[in-house]
Amino acid sequence: MSIIMKKSVPIALVFITAVIFLLEYFVLPTELKSTVTMLQNWGIILTAFTLGFGAVNMIMFHGKQVSRRAKGQWPYSLWLLIILVLFTLVGVIMGATSTQYSWLYSSSYFALSATVYSSLGFYMTSGIYRALRAKNAESALLLIVGVIVLARNAPALAAQFPILVNMDSWLSSVPTTSAQRGIMIGAALGAIALGLRTMIGRETGFLGQTTEGEKGG
Amino acid sequence: MTAKPKTIWDRLEDIPREILYGLLLVCIIVPMLFPIGFPVPISVEVKRWYDTIEALPAGSVVMVDFGYSGGGEPELAPFAVATYAQLFRKADIKVVTMSTSNEGPLLWEKAMTELNIARFGKEYGKDYIHIGYIAGVETAMAAVGKSISATTTTDYKGTPLSKYSIMQGVDSAEDFALLIVYTTGGDQSEGWVRQWYTSYKTPYLSCVLAMMVPTMLPYQKAGQIVSVVSGAQAGQIEILVKAPGRGVKSADVITVTHLLCIALVVVGNIAYFGKKFSGGKS
Repeated sequence: MSIIMKKSVPIALVFITAVIFLLEYFVLPTELKSTVTMLQNWGIILTAFTLGFGAVNMIMFHGKQVSRRAKGQWPYSLWLLIILVLFTLVGVIMGATSTQYSWLYSSSYFALSATVYSSLGFYMTSGIYRALRAKNAESALLLIVGVIVLARNAPALAAQFPILVNMDSWLSSVPTTSAQRGIMIGAALGAIALGLRTMIGRETGFLGQTTEGEKGG
Repeated sequence: MTAKPKTIWDRLEDIPREILYGLLLVCIIVPMLFPIGFPVPISVEVKRWYDTIEALPAGSVVMVDFGYSGGGEPELAPFAVATYAQLFRKADIKVVTMSTSNEGPLLWEKAMTELNIARFGKEYGKDYIHIGYIAGVETAMAAVGKSISATTTTDYKGTPLSKYSIMQGVDSAEDFALLIVYTTGGDQSEGWVRQWYTSYKTPYLSCVLAMMVPTMLPYQKAGQIVSVVSGAQAGQIEILVKAPGRGVKSADVITVTHLLCIALVVVGNIAYFGKKFSGGKS
């Protein structure tokens, strides 16, 4: 494939699309509305397509693991494939909003997902006990703030000691918000820079290529 | 060579994780089985959330993003159920729901069953609807904000939207009086600010996981979100709506488990300093 098709055409497409979106947002909202709506719908369709593409990729990867009898892996891969096929068949034949599909989801994936997430509470308890120790000034500060936030988030303690609410409110409004704003503004400036570099073809990561900087150039 | 026997400080400083997990399990199960009924104070944010919905005039249309995944259901669903109860108790409020999470429609059905919607006398397609999962996260938000009919033509069951009276005169973000979002994803909670508040100034209520709240606070402070709450505050909204459920029940558990954590922190520090001052290394 020529360099034009591999690099120039995708960059030109990204540039034109980005310019259309920028013009629609800042200059011509009415004139370009239908074009942008169409492009957004293409984006939605492509995203939905990637879900199917991901499923195909998983079948290929785990199919290979099973056929090669990959040590310590293939039984899990086989189980994954069985579940994938089961969900797909029930979803396609009965419908993704059918009682059968809903039951399958609720009694397997949902229950497991909620359990795994909830189990974090146990790790957090152990982590709090081991990490919140006043070994130096910084860890003492973390300890004090941690205990205030813990106590404020216990409804009964917050009701009994309203000062905890005021302290937590100050911690949230001043130090936390200030730090978050700094992070967000930094990330936003980075996103603008990345967007501009992508538009002009200086950032080629989306093409599966490395940038000049990454090449050491 | 015999190993040096462990002192009391050593034991307290390094309590085996199995004991910690066991204590936590007891602190979860006991208040669930025998509710204590600790007080649940109403925070400013939850009161503002409640007041914003109460202030909606008759005829308002509300957009809801049911955008959480199964892992976040235990935390976010009680808040969502109580808020739906508040919305459905109000006369002539229409609720259009969509999902930016692919699990959303299934979890929404589960929430509607928990809500027992029949008791409100509301009719699907006339008073409320779910327009389905729309892929693309921020692209989906922007597209729905511009035109729902151009983005999707059916509800989550595949029935054409044109068959439902609720969708008459409702197409873009400008037709909605309020946006309510329940999500476990940072892209979703922040994306709605960028795609709806910034473009259309739609008042926005955001319910996220407790650990996501600090990330969202700058938006609330800047006035871009009316109220940011965590699902763990569900007991408060249930009390305001007078519909006690899972949130109120879990408030006792939250208090007891948090007290356990504070107690463990105290024990850990006493052991650390006890060992230090008794000549042992820490």
